[in-house]
Amino acid sequence: MKLFIIILLLPVINIFAQSDWIKWGKADYSYQIKNNFQHRDYSLNKKNYERFLLKSFADGYWLLISDVDGDNCSFNPTCSNFFLQSVEKTNIVQGSLMFFDRFTRDMDIFGKVGHYPRVSDGHFYDPPSLYLMNQDSIKYLPHSFVLKDE
Amino acid sequence: MKKIFISIIFLCTISFPQENNSSAINLFSPINTKKFADYLFCQHDYLRAIEEYNRYLLGTSSDSIKFRIAIAYSKMGDYKQSIDEFMEVPEKSQLSPLAKLEIMKSLFQSGNFNELRNYFNLKISNNNFNEKKEAKSLYNFSFLFTNDSLPTEHNFYNAFHSDDLNKIKKFYNWKKDPPEKKSLTAGILSAIIPGAGKIYTNQFWDGLWAFITSVGFTYLSYDNFHAGHYFRGWLFGGLAVGFYAGNVYGSAASAQIYNAKIHFDFVNDLKDFLESHNYFIPVINFCK
Repeated sequence: MKLFIIILLLPVINIFAQSDWIKWGKADYSYQIKNNFQHRDYSLNKKNYERFLLKSFADGYWLLISDVDGDNCSFNPTCSNFFLQSVEKTNIVQGSLMFFDRFTRDMDIFGKVGHYPRVSDGHFYDPPSLYLMNQDSIKYLPHSFVLKDE
Repeated sequence: MKKIFISIIFLCTISFPQENNSSAINLFSPINTKKFADYLFCQHDYLRAIEEYNRYLLGTSSDSIKFRIAIAYSKMGDYKQSIDEFMEVPEKSQLSPLAKLEIMKSLFQSGNFNELRNYFNLKISNNNFNEKKEAKSLYNFSFLFTNDSLPTEHNFYNAFHSDDLNKIKKFYNWKKDPPEKKSLTAGILSAIIPGAGKIYTNQFWDGLWAFITSVGFTYLSYDNFHAGHYFRGWLFGGLAVGFYAGNVYGSAASAQIYNAKIHFDFVNDLKDFLESHNYFIPVINFCK
């Protein structure tokens, strides 16, 4: 009888013990940097002619140059996204001026640290809403601030 | 038989002491409930402290406990509830003046400056109130947070303690004449010398890069026209105009961001000052 119980218990113990692999198993952790630029929205809005044209250029730039080049823009949103958002929020002239200004600031390799807040992935946070020439749209964040999700 | 005997002895040794303890200490007695609530309060576990204080208040009435409940709500940032609880403190209570100050503090912290001023005018300014100076300090301080017209210097300063007067004068003068940068000036400066407007708004490196890009592309355009490369000349010329105009626009925008920054820093300085002075309210330490 004792032998029978022991034989019955042993497999049960073994099975439960083996289920511990969840706890002790190798963590499947990825150290790869997330490439957000690979999840771009390439869709085109055919209703708006101006936006359609602009987005076509942006899609072409992303597909042929930016995505191949890699995640090199130090800003969030990237300069091309900034341009699109700027035009969307204002008009083509003001959006272009905002873009040229952003592009100049992007070239500045000394002044970014200690000036812009960061997104959690390390990019400098610089949304178009700061440059709409509307004091009320400016939501100032100090450079020590880190945004969780953007 | 021996086993049963040992088991009985063993059970008795376990159960008797437990029975004795449970009869000696009533953990749910009002005194122990209050002790536990005080402990939770001092551990900043305010939500559970409120629960225990409310349990305590079922059997008795205490202004001090009501006051603590209100303080706990205030500490948790539930200002609406804290105001309601402070209102529960009766007028005759010794804690009534403090409760009124705390109501003002809660209104202040929730950003209801107009309500705060109305409360001060209705409940404090015309009444015989010992802590009127502290209340007036908070009342005056509220003007530094809004765009409403400031009281006169004399009226503003006389509410504060002489030790703080230098700091208060700095705040007042800042609010009266904030050291803002003008968008128009920044734009004009950048129109005259590319990048100068950015330097005016404390963005030195941005200004330098704006100067380099504008001047660099202008030179490339000139050089290509000069060499008979008209396409490149127009291309670089267009880019030069773009960077130049973008910089004029960006300088004006940069002035606005600069102004937002100094206002942000100013408000933070005010908040730090208020926190360090406990909103001009006498500090009561419940956790000695």
